[in-house]
Amino acid sequence: MTRTADVAIVGGGVNGCSIAYRLAKAGKKVVLCEKGDFAAGATGSCDQMVILQSKNPGIHLKLALDSAELFQTLAQELDYDIEYFRHGGMITIENEMEMDVMTDFVAKQKKIGLEVDIISREEASKRQRGLGEHLLGCTYSAQDGHVNPFKLNMGFAQAAKKAGAELLIDAEVTDFKMAGGKVVGIKTAKGDVDAETVVLAAGAWSPLLGQKLGMKLPIKPRRGQIIVSQPCAPYIVGDILSAQYIVAKYHPETLLNAKSRGIQLGVGLAISQTARGGILIGATREFVDYDVSNTREGIREILKNAARLMPGLKNLNIIRVMGGVRPYTPDGLPLVGCVKGMDGLFMAAGHEGDGIALSAVTGKIVAGLICEGKAYTDVSALDPNRFELFAK
Amino acid sequence: MSTCGAEDHVFVCRCEEITKEEIAAAIADGATTVRGIKVRTEAGMGLCQGRGCRKIIQQMLSQSGARPAAEVLPSTTRTPVRTAKISEFINEEDD
Repeated sequence: MTRTADVAIVGGGVNGCSIAYRLAKAGKKVVLCEKGDFAAGATGSCDQMVILQSKNPGIHLKLALDSAELFQTLAQELDYDIEYFRHGGMITIENEMEMDVMTDFVAKQKKIGLEVDIISREEASKRQRGLGEHLLGCTYSAQDGHVNPFKLNMGFAQAAKKAGAELLIDAEVTDFKMAGGKVVGIKTAKGDVDAETVVLAAGAWSPLLGQKLGMKLPIKPRRGQIIVSQPCAPYIVGDILSAQYIVAKYHPETLLNAKSRGIQLGVGLAISQTARGGILIGATREFVDYDVSNTREGIREILKNAARLMPGLKNLNIIRVMGGVRPYTPDGLPLVGCVKGMDGLFMAAGHEGDGIALSAVTGKIVAGLICEGKAYTDVSALDPNRFELFAK
Repeated sequence: MSTCGAEDHVFVCRCEEITKEEIAAAIADGATTVRGIKVRTEAGMGLCQGRGCRKIIQQMLSQSGARPAAEVLPSTTRTPVRTAKISEFINEEDD
């Protein structure tokens, strides 16, 4: 059976479903095709943060702020409890080098409009017990929060269906349909979909599909391992990152000669507690192709790092570990927009660790670009054509 | 869904308190795998990590006809097999 749509979306993660929802609401006929089931990739193997403080001051932070604004009323809008809570967030600072990086980072973030400050260890201890004695201080922002990624994904999916979109699962995209050098649809395990526009929102798997079009997308899978504790009474108040994470993300050159195994695995603290009480402790950042398994070494380094920053965690029990790949891009920004030289194709992938936080605004941007030819704000920094997209 | 009797309110996943009715609703929503049920209901995500509910959910999935029984596979199991204290991992020697 061949379906016809205005827009065919490839990928049923949080971003694919957010895009499906916004486009269907704007009156487009949408068919979304997902290889497995919803939340099967990065969405289903992440922490839960909608954290603003980790975002690079500039377009990255601005979009995250706009997304967080949308999150405030999203449950109501989707008519689905996505468990979004804004309990604030902190970034732990352990040494002078991190203090210098964070002082600069915070000053720039304030200029973009984030409410964030550096607070002393004493002040931080009033907000969160169990912090390491050796910390020099923390950053704090009341605007940080977290959301249940499964519920967010399903909330977008259900709202998209209600708005008239057709969402197909177990519908792996096997190829693209071409006519006159243009992409005019997709072939899937559940039949063809003819569409004016095909949105590639397959996260870390997008490059594999891009290959079918002769493209060499600059997206690479990067594994994150995360550990889940037993459900326990409220302990982690907000969301906590370590400055190591910021340093590793934005100043990787400082770590090139690092001897610590933890640093080599890209370990940075990311910790928060779910609505059901489990504490999520992350994470590694490793290039291991599409291997989503866990390693003893990864688990141990994450826990060693977490227990150094929060010694109180040592006596908790863990019940589960997770592993998943996120779509890394060289400049840390996703690829969102049309592809020059491949009419009919629209990219919306490469969010790496920001897929959840940016999901709300990504749907809005894509719907704006597809329906009106422009987004609500200048998103030229996300233009996929900033990279060389075709294999030479 | 058809009429809902008392047996539909039985907890299938006791850790997260997910009922038979909720599992059936997830199947009606299109779930065809144990993981699909987990994403829609959070069944199997609690303390016992699906040891109690996994087989009941597999059975409900195969009875629904969404997939042949032989293709209804258990969801991914991962470390640890039993709950384990964080300090045990930290103190462990290198492999």
